[in-house]
Amino acid sequence: MIRVQTEDVDIGALITAAKEPGTGAVVVFDGIVRDDDITEMELEAYADVAVAEMEKIAKEAIGQFRLLHVDIIHRIGRLAVGENILIIVVSAGHRPEAYAGSRYIIEEIKKSVPIWKKELTRHGGRWVPGEHGHGKGKPE
Amino acid sequence: MTVKVRFFARFRELLGTDIPAETETGSTLLSLVRGIAEKKKEGYNAIFDDHGNFHEFVIVMRNGKRVEHEDAAAVRVSDGDEIAVFPPVAGG
Repeated sequence: MIRVQTEDVDIGALITAAKEPGTGAVVVFDGIVRDDDITEMELEAYADVAVAEMEKIAKEAIGQFRLLHVDIIHRIGRLAVGENILIIVVSAGHRPEAYAGSRYIIEEIKKSVPIWKKELTRHGGRWVPGEHGHGKGKPE
Repeated sequence: MTVKVRFFARFRELLGTDIPAETETGSTLLSLVRGIAEKKKEGYNAIFDDHGNFHEFVIVMRNGKRVEHEDAAAVRVSDGDEIAVFPPVAGG
């Protein structure tokens, strides 16, 4: 399952579904809204392109790390401190592939999937700076 | 012909999004985006440098495919195209 959605997910159900025949390890990455003195976080996506890019990343990870199952659910909308932002569930025959595949997916998402975060504070809001533009420049 | 221009994140706050743009046949991607952004100085300055070129960090897509900055002045938009302009991604 590869999705961009507002709703939370049942991680336990995803783990159960990830146990394909031959599974020896399931790794779950759960990115959470951290309390950096914020009230909420607002997430925005170029949804069609984001899903297509995450599908591409999942396919690459399955090929490179012999993963048996991949779920990526990236939430958008307003999220409170402690809520899930991004859930990645992967399964593989052995733990090295499961860990490496999960790590690959999160790092690639940070590079190329068009999603943005705005931290909302009592004094307004601030966009979380992205690291990967066309070139070396950074927005002001 | 009509082209849809979508800005995201800070650019959306400054310029709006899902903007239907009537443009002449033969218009380039660069001239189209410039024409829309010029209506709001702060939005224009967020996307373009003093020479009217995209800032290095700006990402441009046409129908979901990335367009390199050096090609934006040559790529001609077509009726029904969706152009997206956004700052570096920050998901995850």
